[in-house]
Parts: sequence; structure tokens; C-alpha cells
Amino acid sequence: MIELQTVTPFFEDKQELLEEILGRYPDYGRRSAVMPLLWEVQRAERYVSEARVAEIAAILDLHATEVKGVMSFYSTYHGEPVGRWHLQVCSTLSCKLAGADELCDHLEERLGLVPGETDAEGRFSLQKVECLGSCTTAPVLQVNDTYYERVTRGRLEELLEALARDEQPAPWRERHGDNEALGGAPMAGNAAKAPAQAADAAANDEEGGA
Amino acid sequence: MADAVAERPKPITSRHDPRFEVTLYRYVGVEGAHTLDAYLEHGGYEAARKALASEPGQIVNTVKASGLRGRGGAGFPAGVKWSFMPPVDGRQRFIVCNADESEPGSCKDRYLMEDDPHQLIEGMLIAGWAIQATKGVLYIRGEYWHAYERLTGAIEEARARGYLGANVLDSGFAFDIVVHRGAGAYICGEETALMNSFEGLRANPRLKPPFPAQAGVYGLPSTINNVTTLASVPHIVEKGADWFSAMGTDDSKGIHHVQISGAVARPGVYEVPMGISYREIIHDLGGGPSSPAKAFIPGGTSCPLFPYDDEHLDMPMDFSAVAKAGSMLGTGAVIVIPEDQCIVDAMYNVTRFYAHESCGKCTPCREGVSTWMPQMYRKLLSGRGTPEDVDVMEDVAKNLRGTAFCPLADAAAWPIQASLQYFRNEYEHLAQHGTPLHPRKDRWLA
Amino acid sequence: MAGVKVRINDATIHVDPGTSVIDAVFAAGHDVPYFCSQEYMSPVGACRMCLAKIGAPRKDRATGDWILDEESGEPKVFWFPNPMATCTTQVMEGMVVDTLSKEVKRAQSGMVEFTLINHPLDCPTCDKGGACELQDRAYEYGSGLSRFEFDKRHQEKHHALSELITLDRERCIHCKRCVRYFEEVPGDKVLDFIERGGHTYIGTLEDGLPSPFTGNITDICPVGALLDSTSRFRGRNWEYDHTETTSLDDPGGAALTVDARTGRIERVKAGLNPEVNKTWIDDGTRFGHEYVDAADRITMPLVRRDGELVPVSWEEAAQVVAAGLSKVDPKAIGVAIRADATLEEGVAATALARQLGTGRLDHAPRPPASVIPDGAAATMSDVATSDALFVVGDPTEEAGIVDLRIKDALKGVAPPELMAHGVPIADLRLKERMPRKAEILTVAAPYRTSLMKHAGQAHVTPAGGEAALLKALAALAAEQAEAPTEEPEGDASGASAAAWDDTVGMTREQAQALLDRLRAGSAPVMIWSGFVSADPDADEAARTLAKAVGAKVLILGPMANAYGLERIGVLPSHDRYDYASMLSGEAKALILSQLDPAQDPKVAKRLGELDLLVVHTSFPNATAALAHVVLPARTGFEKEGVTVNAEGRMLPVRPAPVEAGAAADLTGTVKRLGEALGVRMDGRSVRSARRVLRKMLNVDPAELPAAGQLLELPRRASRRARALRAVAGAEGRALVVPSMVRIEHLDRNPKLRAEHGDAALRLNPADAHAHGLTAGEIVILTVGGLPRRLRVVTSDGVPDGLWLVPALPDQPVGLYPADPSALRRARGETAEVA
Repeated sequence: MIELQTVTPFFEDKQELLEEILGRYPDYGRRSAVMPLLWEVQRAERYVSEARVAEIAAILDLHATEVKGVMSFYSTYHGEPVGRWHLQVCSTLSCKLAGADELCDHLEERLGLVPGETDAEGRFSLQKVECLGSCTTAPVLQVNDTYYERVTRGRLEELLEALARDEQPAPWRERHGDNEALGGAPMAGNAAKAPAQAADAAANDEEGGA
Repeated sequence: MADAVAERPKPITSRHDPRFEVTLYRYVGVEGAHTLDAYLEHGGYEAARKALASEPGQIVNTVKASGLRGRGGAGFPAGVKWSFMPPVDGRQRFIVCNADESEPGSCKDRYLMEDDPHQLIEGMLIAGWAIQATKGVLYIRGEYWHAYERLTGAIEEARARGYLGANVLDSGFAFDIVVHRGAGAYICGEETALMNSFEGLRANPRLKPPFPAQAGVYGLPSTINNVTTLASVPHIVEKGADWFSAMGTDDSKGIHHVQISGAVARPGVYEVPMGISYREIIHDLGGGPSSPAKAFIPGGTSCPLFPYDDEHLDMPMDFSAVAKAGSMLGTGAVIVIPEDQCIVDAMYNVTRFYAHESCGKCTPCREGVSTWMPQMYRKLLSGRGTPEDVDVMEDVAKNLRGTAFCPLADAAAWPIQASLQYFRNEYEHLAQHGTPLHPRKDRWLA
Repeated sequence: MAGVKVRINDATIHVDPGTSVIDAVFAAGHDVPYFCSQEYMSPVGACRMCLAKIGAPRKDRATGDWILDEESGEPKVFWFPNPMATCTTQVMEGMVVDTLSKEVKRAQSGMVEFTLINHPLDCPTCDKGGACELQDRAYEYGSGLSRFEFDKRHQEKHHALSELITLDRERCIHCKRCVRYFEEVPGDKVLDFIERGGHTYIGTLEDGLPSPFTGNITDICPVGALLDSTSRFRGRNWEYDHTETTSLDDPGGAALTVDARTGRIERVKAGLNPEVNKTWIDDGTRFGHEYVDAADRITMPLVRRDGELVPVSWEEAAQVVAAGLSKVDPKAIGVAIRADATLEEGVAATALARQLGTGRLDHAPRPPASVIPDGAAATMSDVATSDALFVVGDPTEEAGIVDLRIKDALKGVAPPELMAHGVPIADLRLKERMPRKAEILTVAAPYRTSLMKHAGQAHVTPAGGEAALLKALAALAAEQAEAPTEEPEGDASGASAAAWDDTVGMTREQAQALLDRLRAGSAPVMIWSGFVSADPDADEAARTLAKAVGAKVLILGPMANAYGLERIGVLPSHDRYDYASMLSGEAKALILSQLDPAQDPKVAKRLGELDLLVVHTSFPNATAALAHVVLPARTGFEKEGVTVNAEGRMLPVRPAPVEAGAAADLTGTVKRLGEALGVRMDGRSVRSARRVLRKMLNVDPAELPAAGQLLELPRRASRRARALRAVAGAEGRALVVPSMVRIEHLDRNPKLRAEHGDAALRLNPADAHAHGLTAGEIVILTVGGLPRRLRVVTSDGVPDGLWLVPALPDQPVGLYPADPSALRRARGETAEVA
């Protein structure tokens, strides 16, 4: 039996947060709160222990087994602590075509970890994840909640060095396609097209349009 | 009348068409465009005002007339889906935005949510009005943290200034949105699994019927739409159904977002009219293959690949045309596969994705997709495979078609079948020689 | 012909609308394989084994006519593009189902192949072998060859989910029957899938499986993943003799299948009785069979010679008894049997008492009030279809299956109609996680019971206060019935409101809500048991209340055949000749069957002074230790006879082939005594007893229908005895409470005991602290004269000052005096009580 008496409940001093989360859902849908509650624990403690699972179950009037069943279904709740910097390497096709396999191999060697492991100091952990939804700026690495896009060899090194110093750089966000770079001027009509297309458009106009 | 018919303008099916204007993605990439003030400055929430002053049924008809089809991959006509909602009977109703974008190759929803969140909020608001749902559920994949922050910030702004809440824009209509984060499961993109996940259950898909309109979120009438589908709604209301249906083909109207990745010079998201050819997408917008290409995936990895040839490049981005050619339009995520990429290795990568994401509810997917297929690929790729193995893979893929509880098994098996259809030689090479026709090369850029 | 017309292969049949295609397939005499479907549970379409090719005609949208096939002129069949799961597809008019074509066979063998790829080749050592649905389906529908050559998934193979259930995770085929069972049947969600995809496995985070109905998952698991630990490795399924019988564990009357081999009972499984227990039994019944084979089983008659009990033949023992009886005044002879004896044994006991010329005849435990309803009696189906239930007591512990039938009612789905193939395999009305109508259930009990979690209204009422509560409710109902059109207002309501005393356990508003619900219901049912029956005033008030609200009544007696034995009159000719009086010194000779009153030292002293004490028992006990003659008794698994459950339903009891030496039930005993006395008594055999029963009850016990036979209610109410116990005024009152697990057998049921723990003394933590008791320690507490060895358990659900002790046949449910200062610690030391 989980001895909650020996572990201070996580939400004991976070009543406002708890109320806010529970308040997002109707009474008959209280169970919906299980995911955000799990995430709060995951984020703060880097994993969700059995004691926390039991605590969340008690809050929502569920069996601990039900909460565990939900928690274990997903890739981003962990039963064992992840590192201070949890490196999630996107490994699906677009990123693979941009070198994700090599990137992951490199990280394994560099950090001395295999995917699923956390290092002894609890600083880095490594996980191969599936498509992160940034396929046009591949390869992509997610560190905790932040996306680092277009992680080339050189840029990875600078990222790792910063993390080793316990500094998390701002996200590397890029926009490609219609908006070549962040902070571009507001677009309107044809002028919004990428230069190459605008040239094409002009050429096509001359030829009578598509 | 004949004259009117003859004079009906040609549909817009190319980016080169001067009539085409980037609309949904107009402010993506623009710093500061995500704020309410910025949104209002360029006419934000005017469409909502207009909608709230009309009958809900009218809005449904407008969306029906526009020809808007779901942009999450299934392509179901949005207006028709809205009309499935039962008459208002006092029970709570929900409009659910499926922002669990996880189809490999897809990233169009993310930028929209990060840089122009109010557009989506306005779309949900109008959709809520149309189907008389006072609650919006925005289910966003957990990894999209930045988008989540932008959305919640935008919702707070909207609430504070009367664009959401008990009395939206003084219309008497109450509408609010709860944003619920996923936690890393592709299956949550399936609408019934999404609802189970939202309800705090394991995210297995549900039986249909009953359909969400009859028994959805918490068993209550609900409609689920994709991000871009909903984000199109304000523009349709503002500019009219005809504006939308002037773009695209007979079968597939309006605006689409192509996400090009893989071996192309200019990967990125491009807003295009439906009906645009794959050639225009890959060559014009994408800048052409960065190295000789041999195949491309037309709409996300759930869609069988095509060989990179004229016949397939000239195909328009149109639901029925792509279906007729033996694949699907899907989410419009185009992945270009270079000549020197072993197809077997690429398909193993894709198979491993489905293996990891299988929910485990039904036998063929849990055992076939999640266990057996990856093992067969590994055997082949490790050099220990035989020609009989290739036959078994083909047969197992066939057994996975149409037998599982939800389409995930089909999404895994159909592309495998296509890869065998067009690139069997690569499988056989591995089976006979133990080495790939195209050995692995380092693709990681310096 | 009414119904929906469906063609299955070559057979055209009509079925009710709403029927699943899989049930239509079986009703038509065809079959498809299935794993995840289970009678009485929601269909889910997960295993994909039941795939068939399905087509249906369509109507033209414009005309509303069937679209016709141009050639044949018949409605055209539009085939669905993919094979469909027949368990989750509803029949449609004109539907055509193909289960025999190559396409379907390929799908079926494909699904078998997938199911087998990670399934370990354990058949040679797996308990399920020979009764395994996977073996059978693989043989019937598989291709015979597996192409899978890789390493199978490895997982834990001997995981003890509890002391009673072993889980082999590798064998699990993820049909989800067990997970769905826990949510849908007892409502205890203690088991779930963990992880996803190919890594999925079954597990729990609870301590063991905290539910009293866990064992049913070992019945429904289609493979050898979930196994009954009491029978693990004890035999192969084809070696077992399967005996269909009825449980004598409690008054529910659940059907059982008892598996025996080489003279031992190895396993008890649930039997099927759609009218009573459906296909479920409780854990006390299922796992509490090991005692039958305990080493100290008495298998020969014993006679005391020179102070020692020595084995003798039946003839000799009978002679000793006959001789002893001849020396005693007949009026001083007493005959008492236990309340789980069969009716035939009841007839035998009655005949014996008559032959001996004594009116001292009784069965025990027997509450002061009758356990037979007057007027409208509720069946289990009535309970399961009720829309307003009022429960007074703890039926979960008194007769486990009643708890499950109550939970059926909360779903609001009536039991299914039986089809040609029996209970429907896939009842589409059942869904996962159906909403429950808790508001239809009100529970009142002297402590917090597990059933209260499911009730819309739950009241912990004062122990011994059932009479006050029921009287108040009956009075309120009567008052409102007298003046139905008058709205209680002003002084009138003020007067009755003032008269209501909240200390009965509920407020007037709550009482009113309850009455309104019962009266408004179209099928109200009241269920009560030991706490009410222990007080004739409470029982009378309950009957009055039931009549007032038009509720059918189900009364749960203390043991299996309480209804039956009362019904056939195994009762003293006068109240002063009852069982209690037999023990108080008024009898000089006693013949006791399966009773052990000498646990009470005062009674033991009196029994020691009897001229003749004959004890008919299966095991040595305190009373047998004082006996002049001990006769070996059969247990409830070894008898042939009938029993009558709380519904008044006669059910068959059949003997499993157990090696029990010369043990006999009471009919066999009476036969021997008759021979010694030179008379032929009724009840000297099952046949002769049944002649009596046939005449008395107008039912033939030898020709019972499959679901048993409901008896007509008796024309006269049976006689009631005086109250046996008074409510104690002393501090620390002991409430003897019902127990699903038979405490008297606990020491001889090692696995059940390991799971359940020793008999518990339950009190709330503050009380425990005040008396210096710590949870887990063993104490000896004298309750109503009986020293009880108990383990201290603290629970918030127990009201202050009330101590809960589980019942024994010799100490039935009710309030007893108990003095905490008389409590001893188990080692014999006197406790220092604060």
C-alpha cells in the first residue's frame, strides 16, 4: 500500500493551481484533469512516482490503477526520472532524411547514453521520439519543452555546451516556405510570394498565366 | 444562362494564378502578429460579428456551399459534418479542434497556432455558433508547447475583451474554449481516440456508430474539425462561399497547405489552391529536388508513395485524383525521397513509427504492425532476409488491410504495399544479397 | 414473420431488432470465432476474430424503395468494402452475412496467426490446456502453420495479482475481458492495461485486487493468462469431473461447476444460471473449497470409550446413539441442523424428531424474524430490473451475487432474452463505461459498506436502530398515504416534521426523497437481511413499509437454505423448544448437525453434562470434543439434494466425486439411526425425502428446470421465535456483521486466508487508539459469550464506539455485548486497557 503519510502530497501547497485545473472541466468530466495533473508532476519532478499516481487518483476519485493505465499510455510521462535536460530526438522520416539517425548516434556517443537512459548526474537523458511536427526544418531536437530546429552538426555542439552550463538557449524557430524568416514584413497578395515564385509568376504572366 | 456558364471563371489551381492570395498564412512568420491588437488591426473578429448576426443554419449552409473538406487527412465535407449535429435539446454541445498534428510530414497547423492563434479562435467561435455549441475543446499535442502558450495567451486576451465568455461580442451567445494538451500519442489524432484522451481515458479509438454528433465528448453531441479547417471558416464567412470555391477543383475546393520536406531545395509550408500539381509544389515552390529523387509521398506517411515520374508529378492535389492513383491527399505533407535512399530503410522508419504509435487495442495492429512488421524489416535490413520473407511481408501487409479496428493498421500497411509495388527490386536486392541497393549514407548537415 | 430478416450463408432467419450479427450467425447454426466478446459484457470489436463479409440492400433516397438487382429483381446486396466485426455490427433488414467464403477464411486465419505470434508455446504446462478458447479457435480457424520466427514478447509469467489469482502476462491476448469485467460487473476498476501497442500488459497498482469478485476473471479469460491459484498445476482440464451444482455458501443460490479429480475438489467455477447469478460467483464461494480436503477431516464415525473417541462402524455408532436415546425422556431430546443443510436433510431431521417424539427441532442460525416475504417476493431479475432499490444491510457480504444484480439495475439494461444458442454473445445494449443511475439505490447499514459507493443515497445508521428507522419510514409513508391529496402544510407538516427524529440515521428530507422514489418507481424492491431480521420489530416495520410503497421484497437469511428450512417447517413445536433453549440446559440429549455451540465456554459446560451428545460434523471442533458420538458429515459439495435460495427458488445440489470416507449427510445418518431403531423414517434417503417434499411443495426436486423452480409463497406466515439477544448497554458494543468469506473454514482455506487475512475486528482509528490497540495485532475478544480470535483492523467506515466482528454460523449477525476490558492479547496476557 502506498504510504502517502511519508510523502508530502504534491498538490498540498498548490491548491490554486489544482483548483484552476479542475475548474477547466465540468463536474461530470472531472476525470479529464488526469492529464494536466500528471503533467504538472512530470514537469516539476521529472517523473511521476507511484505515490503521485495514487495522489492524483485520490484527487479525482479514481483507482490508482486507472491513473497508471492512462499515464503509461503516453510517451511524455515517465515512471523513472528524466534528466534536467531531456533530449528528445525526432526520428521519423523527414528528420531521418535530414540526418536524424546520425544525429542520434552522435548524441549517444557524446553523452554516453542509449535512448531511454538518464546519465548518472541526472543532467542529460535521451529519448528517440516520433514526428515532432517540424518536418520542414529537420532535423529537430526537443529539449524539455523547447524545439531546436535545423540542428546541424555545428549548431548541436553549441546547444550541448550551453546546456552543460545549465543555460537553455531560446528556441531555434524558423519559418520556411511562404515566410522565409521570422519577422518578415506583413504579406499582401502577390508580393507575399517567395522571390523565386514571384519571378515565376511574372514569367508566367508574360506567357499568359497558368 | 449558357453565357453565364461559359463565362464562369476558371478555377484557381496554381500559385502562379494572380488571383491567388495567401490568406490563412498571411501573418505566419510575422513578429507580433499573434496579439489581439494585431489581429483586430487587420479585421479580426469581423467575420465572427457577421456570423453571430446570422442564423446558425445559414453559416452551416455557407460552409457547405464553400466545399470546405476536412484538412486533417480524411477530407470529409465540413459543412455536412456540422449538419450531423442533432437539434438543440438542452444538453451541452462541443466543437472540438483537433490540433494533435502528428502525421509525419505535417507541420502546417503548428505555425498557424503559434503565429496567428486568434484566427483559429475566431474559427472555433463561428463554428460553435453554427452548431450551437457553447464549449470549444482545443486538443493540442503535448509537444507543441510554444503553440500552447500562444493559444492560451490569445484566449486570455479574447476573454478579457469580450471575444470569448458569457456574452461574446454582446451577441448573447456564450462561448469559451478549454485547451487540453496531449502527451505524445499519434492515435489521439483519430477523432474518437482524441475524445477518449480528452476524457482522461486511455486513448483507444471508439466504435462508430455512434458518431461524435450523437455521442461525442462525455457522450454529448460534438463535432471535431482540424485546425486549418476551422481557421478557414472566418475567411469563408467574410469573403463568401464563392470566394473559397473559386479555388480548387470540382472535387476539392479552396485553400490547402502543402508541407514539403525531404530532399528538396526549399522545404517549407506553402499555402496553395487545391488542384495544384505536385510538380508545381515540388519544383516551383520547393525549389526542386536537392538530389535526384525517385519517389514522393503525397500527403503524409499514411499515404502510399508514388514514383517520381511525370504521371504522378502532373497529378493535381485533389482528393479523388490522388485516390484514383492509388493513394490519398491526406494532410498534404509531401516528402521527397532521394534516389540514394534505400526504400526498405525508409519504409522501416515509417513502419517503426506506426509500431510505436499503435494503441494496442486490436490484434492485427498490436501484433502485426507493432511487433511483426518491424521485426521483418530488421531481419531484411540486417542482411539475414530471404525472398520468402519478402513474400511473407507482402502477405502480412495484405492481412492488415481492412481488418483492424481503426485505420492506423491501414496507414501502416498500405504504404508498405505501395513500396513493394514500385520498389520491389530494392527489397529483393536485400533479400538476395544481404546488402541494400542504396547503402546508408550520412545525411546530417554540418 | 416479425423481426429483422437476415441471411447467414444459406440460412435465412429472423431476429429481434438490435441483435448483433454475431448472435444472428450463431442463432442460424453457423459460427465465427471470437475472444473479446463475453456474455453479459459489452462488445468491443477488439480481437478482430469475428470478421465476416457483410452486405445489405439499400433504399433509393428519392423513392424509398429497395434498389433492385437488374438481373434477379431482388434487392441488390451492397457488400461493405472490408470485412466487418460481427460482434459490433447490428443486423439490418435484408442483411447478408458470409462466414464461409475464402475471403473470410483468410481473414480468420490471418487473425489467428496474429494472435499467436506473441503467444508462448506453453500448452504442455498451461492450466488452461484442453479448455482453452485459443487452442480451440486456432485449431478450428487457423492455418496450422505459423510464419512467425522471431523472439516472442517476454513478460512476467507468474505474477501474483493476489494470493488467489496468478497472471501470466505472456499468454495474455489482450481481449480486455478482465478489464471490462471489473468496470462493468462489480464496478471496482482495479485492473487495467498498462503501456500501449505491442508492449501492452495487464496490471494493477492496488494492493492485490481489492474486490470481492475477482475470481470471475479466471473463468472468462479465454487463455491461461489469469489462473485460479487454488487449482494451479493441480490437474488437466480433461481429467476433471465437472459437477453442476448450487452453492451452499450463502442464500444467493449461485450455480457452480465443481471440478474434482481423484477424489479431491481442485477448483470451483461459476455455473450459468441466467435467472440467478448469470455467470458470476463471489470470491468466498470460489476460493473457499480447500477445506474439503483438510487433513483433519472426519471420515469415520467415532464413539467415546474411556474418554477417547475411537473410530467405529456406522452400525455400531448408530447402536450407541439408539441406546443412549432410549434412556432419555423424549421431550428432553433436541435435534438441530445448520441452516445450509439441504431440504432432504431438513425432512430427515423433522422425521427423526417426530420419531423420537420430541418437539425440540430447529435449524440454526435462525433469526428471530421470518426470512420469507409475505406478498410480493422479489426475484434476482426483479432486483436487476428495479428502478427504485432500498437496501438495509450489507448484501455484498450476505450473498455476493445480490450485490452484482443490484449493480445490473444501476445500468438500466434488462437481462437479455435467451436465443437459440443461449445467452447472447454480444449484447449491443451494453457499452463500456455506461453511466450508472446511482439515484435509484439507497443503502442503509450500521457501517460504511462497499455498496454505498455506488448508491445515490447512503446512510450509516445506528447499530440496532433498524427498527427505529424502519418504523419512522413506515409511519411517514402511512401518514402520507392517509392524506394523499392534502399537501402537508402549516401545522400539519410542522407536527410530523417535529415528530421525525434525525437520529434514526436520515433526515426527514432524505426519508421523503426515499419514499418518493420508491412510490414513483414502477418496480421498487426492498432488500434486507440479518440486521433487520435480528429484530422482529424492525422486520415488521420493514414489511409494513414495503407494502406501503408497493415494493417487492428480498430477504437474505443467514445461510444458504434458511428460506427452505423455514418453509418446510424445520422448527420447534413451540418457541420454548428452540435451539437456544436446547443449549440452556433444558435438553438432556442433543443431536447436532454441523453446529459448534461449545465455542461458548458456558454452553460447553452445559453440553458436557448431557446424557447424550451426538455431533454430526465434517471436522473436529469444540462440540465434537465433548460428544459421545461423532458422525462424519458431508460438506455442501458432497451432498445430493435441493436448497431454496432467498428468492424462494428450489435449486439442485449435486455431489462432486469427493473421497470423504464414510461421511454421510443427515439423510444417510437418519437411515442408519432408523436401522438401529428398527424403523423406516421419511428422509432416510434422498428419494424418500423427495416424496415428502413433492407433496409439501408441489414441486418435483428430481425434475427441476434448468434455472431452478420458484416456490409458491406459503399460505401462512411461519412461526417466529422470541428475540435471542438484547442490545448491550455496556461500552464498546460488538456488531457481528456478515462475511462473504466463511470464517469457520478460514483456517482450512490457506489461500483464501492469505488473501483475506485472519478474521478481523474492525473499529475506527480513534477508537483503536483509545483502547490501546494497533492495527494488525491479534486479540481475543469475548463477544456474546464466545471468545473470538481476531486481528485488529482500523477503518474510517466504522462509527465510533462500534466494533465489527465477522459472523459465524454459531454467532449470526446482530448486536452483542462485548466488554473491551475483557479483551486479551493473543498471547494470553491481559491487555492494559486505557
